[in-house]
Amino acid sequence: MPKADIPVVKRSLLSWIFPGNVKLQLLLLLIIAVMVFARVLPLEMQKRVVNEAINLRKVDLLVTYCGIYLIAVVCASGLKFLISIIQTLISERSTARMRKDLYAHILTLPLGFFRKTQAGLVVNTLTTELTLPGNFVGLSIAAPVTNLLTLFAFAGYLLWLNWVLALVSLSIYPIVVFLVPLLQKRANRANKKRVDAAREFSSRIAESVSGIHEIQGNGAHAIENRKYNRLVDNLLKIRIVWSLYRFGIKSLNGFFTSLGPFLVFILGGWLAIKGQLELGALVAFVSAQEKLFDPWKELIEFYQVYQDGSVNYKRTMEYFDEEPDFILEPEDREPLELDGRIETHNLSFVTESGISLIDNINLSLISGEHMALVGFSGSGKSTLAACIGQLYKHTGGKIQIGGQDITDLSKRDIVNNIGVVAQSPFIFDGTIEENILYSCEARLGVTEKDLGDRLPTLDDIIATLHQTGLFVDVLRFGLNTVLARDHNKDLMDTFIRVRKNFQQTFGEELTDYVEFFDQDRYLHYSSVAENLTFGTPNQASFSDANLCRNPYFLQFLDEADLTRPLLSLGVELVKQSVDILRNLPQDAIFFNQSPIEPAEMDDLISLVDTIKKKRLHDFSHMDRQKLLDVVLRFTPGTHKMVSMPQMLENLILEGRSLFRKQITEDDPGVYTFYQMSEYIFSQTILSNIFFGKTTTTHSAAQERIDQSIIQLLVEEDLLERVIEIGMHYDVGSKGDNLSGGQRQKLAIARAFLKSPRILIMDEATSALDNRSQARILNLLETRWKKKSTLISVVHRLDTIQNFDKVAVMKAGKILEMDTYNNLMDRKGTLYELVGNR
Amino acid sequence: MSSLETDKLTTACELDQNLQLLRQTYFFSVVPLEALKVFSYLCSRERFKAGEYLFRQGEDDGQAFYIISGTAVLERKGGDLIREIRQCSEGEFMGGLSLMGSMRRLFSLKAVSEMNCLILTREKFTRSLSQFPDLMPSLFKALVGAVDGWEKGFLSGCTDQRDECLQHLGVSLL
Repeated sequence: MPKADIPVVKRSLLSWIFPGNVKLQLLLLLIIAVMVFARVLPLEMQKRVVNEAINLRKVDLLVTYCGIYLIAVVCASGLKFLISIIQTLISERSTARMRKDLYAHILTLPLGFFRKTQAGLVVNTLTTELTLPGNFVGLSIAAPVTNLLTLFAFAGYLLWLNWVLALVSLSIYPIVVFLVPLLQKRANRANKKRVDAAREFSSRIAESVSGIHEIQGNGAHAIENRKYNRLVDNLLKIRIVWSLYRFGIKSLNGFFTSLGPFLVFILGGWLAIKGQLELGALVAFVSAQEKLFDPWKELIEFYQVYQDGSVNYKRTMEYFDEEPDFILEPEDREPLELDGRIETHNLSFVTESGISLIDNINLSLISGEHMALVGFSGSGKSTLAACIGQLYKHTGGKIQIGGQDITDLSKRDIVNNIGVVAQSPFIFDGTIEENILYSCEARLGVTEKDLGDRLPTLDDIIATLHQTGLFVDVLRFGLNTVLARDHNKDLMDTFIRVRKNFQQTFGEELTDYVEFFDQDRYLHYSSVAENLTFGTPNQASFSDANLCRNPYFLQFLDEADLTRPLLSLGVELVKQSVDILRNLPQDAIFFNQSPIEPAEMDDLISLVDTIKKKRLHDFSHMDRQKLLDVVLRFTPGTHKMVSMPQMLENLILEGRSLFRKQITEDDPGVYTFYQMSEYIFSQTILSNIFFGKTTTTHSAAQERIDQSIIQLLVEEDLLERVIEIGMHYDVGSKGDNLSGGQRQKLAIARAFLKSPRILIMDEATSALDNRSQARILNLLETRWKKKSTLISVVHRLDTIQNFDKVAVMKAGKILEMDTYNNLMDRKGTLYELVGNR
Repeated sequence: MSSLETDKLTTACELDQNLQLLRQTYFFSVVPLEALKVFSYLCSRERFKAGEYLFRQGEDDGQAFYIISGTAVLERKGGDLIREIRQCSEGEFMGGLSLMGSMRRLFSLKAVSEMNCLILTREKFTRSLSQFPDLMPSLFKALVGAVDGWEKGFLSGCTDQRDECLQHLGVSLL
């Protein structure tokens, strides 16, 4: 069993066979032994049926032998199935372990490795290239043992039947054993090329996808197609050669093994004619010899899986066989609690290609001191910060953190003491809460189950949200949440109370920004469906998504003379939306102002083609349904590609009263109509408090709304509850649902919440507005100075006056370093930079 | 559906109105109709009350404004002093540069009467620009023309050639 400390990339393929699979492999051996016996038994029965039962005309013997034959066949098949199940289990478990271990190793590799490695390559390796090695591990015991045992059993039986005939028929196998490896060597060479080509191929795809903006921006479709096609053609050629060798091996094997019966018939027939071989023995011999083919074929296939799997495995592990720059966990000691001193001596960093990014850097910061790194782009500021944060391994000189050489420190020591905020921070798919706790969770370094109450409390998180200015954003996320029906009833009642207070206190002041729900007015910021029903459906068949196919609702539209004008509007809406959006990327930013979803685009393009030359009454049922579906979502205040005809507004208003009257008579429980005294489940918390919808997205108006809402929520002691709800807001893949500023604030909050002794910020406030930036700077000044050491890469020179030290960098060197005032008095580089800004 | 019916639906929809307004600006007048329709769609309209700021000095709001109605004043803060530079009124477009790249405002724009503005954000602009790569040369040309035109206009209106301010001119030389 390999030791746990052997890196996965150093492990051989064979080392995966037993660890974790010992019991299953032993069970396999036991089952195989029984199965081989069950496979050989029918041969003896065949012989006895011919020689004893048929020749002696004994029916009882015929029944007995046939019965044994049947039992043996059933057992052999059942056991074979059991073996397949165990093999699959071992294969999948081994593949999963390989994937986990390799992924864990990849995450530790130096950042430089990822500059030369495309994400697609890593994806391809972890999803595809490890499948075959995993399959081999599953087969590694069962296949050779089963087939060799079966082969030997049959061969022994043949020798026992007639050794001359047996030797002649077995003579073909040495030829195959000699020829197959020759071909396999060539197949392996082709397979190595295939692995490399597939790797390049997946990298190219990943590069194209991540650079799609650049490709489309430059109209470089032809260039990219050319590059891609060249790789596909190359892969095609390699795969053909590889497949030809693989099939060549199979054909060669098939040809030689099918020569066996020919030899048996020639020689066996001659012996039988001469009376030197019983007919029953000949039948058994032919049958046994045919049964040799299966195990032999499977052995050859196993050999191929082994060879291909070895090539894939070796190629993969070789590629990722790099050492992490720093060890992950400290050996033989607890993680260190470092003080905030930072010192560098003659520090330099040279890239693999020999470019010097920083050179001869000497600096010294005492614990709690704040230093700003300024200078031109490319002067090495970020590289210096990254070296101190252990993100890059410096190539010369020395870095000491808390008096300890950074090369002696593990990653655990660093994450326990240093917080890093990158310029373009990465936000992971998940909730605000998950992202904000990311660093703390990582620092604890324990499994999810063991986290318990060791994470920061909600109060800590809220304090950090306040400090970083993310509080209002999270509050908005909370307010824009649609609560589930099973949510706390008391909470909803409180919101209704807040609604009444809001109307009294701010109703008039915010009239310009809110469209209140009003039974007698058309609501331009609500959908056509909402305008018609003016209530929340209590049955799924009346939900917004199902309304267009609800027979009751469709009949109502007909009766209210609304079907035709709505379809007319729908046609224009779909035409205009498709016309504008068909060539735009399917991002929320483009689709937010339209009633259609990105996923519907293809259907709607074909719908537009279909209805182009038709009149309304010629539209199919499906087309009408789709058009109604879109038009029922039409919200004139947001969707500006068509205007809502006044006549239709009036019709819808009339329809609203008619619908309410009808449904109340026919099925009163279906809808809960909008009323001041009821919580509206289909609307957000904010719309519930407003009893209406906001009509603006502009920041100044948003601020005014926020202020009034916060005041109300504080009065009702609801602020924390809404924040808690907002913390579950899904930030989307890479934080796409957040603005650039929100992403940066979230990253700062993530680092602040950890309260590190050393904080490294790389232009961490560049996407923030003035006020948010001032808030962060003020916080650093008042709460972090003298407590935590700060290295901040700064672009805006009007924000550096209060730093204890300012280091000005140019071409990888520190030109000057002192307090801001001293540097300005000296009238050196900083003075020039500030003067030119 | 009759063409009359279609006309009724589409006439005067906000998108069409936006398109007509954008066509009048130096920046968007060079944009072909297909792309202009997309930009017009992505615009939003906002109302500002007197005293509200459309943007503030030092902030990178990344927005372009077309003033549909109302008046605003351009301010520049230096130390504790706020100086009014000039009035901006109906039909004025500002923010072409701001759409093309990140920059912090050197001025603030404050509404002096109720204003209605058409706003396009840099994020929407740049992301849709990638769909119309041929636009870039025309937009650069329009911007260069505007910068050049501005400086020419300034110089021709500047009577005192000894003015110290002249020493710092030359933005068209950038």
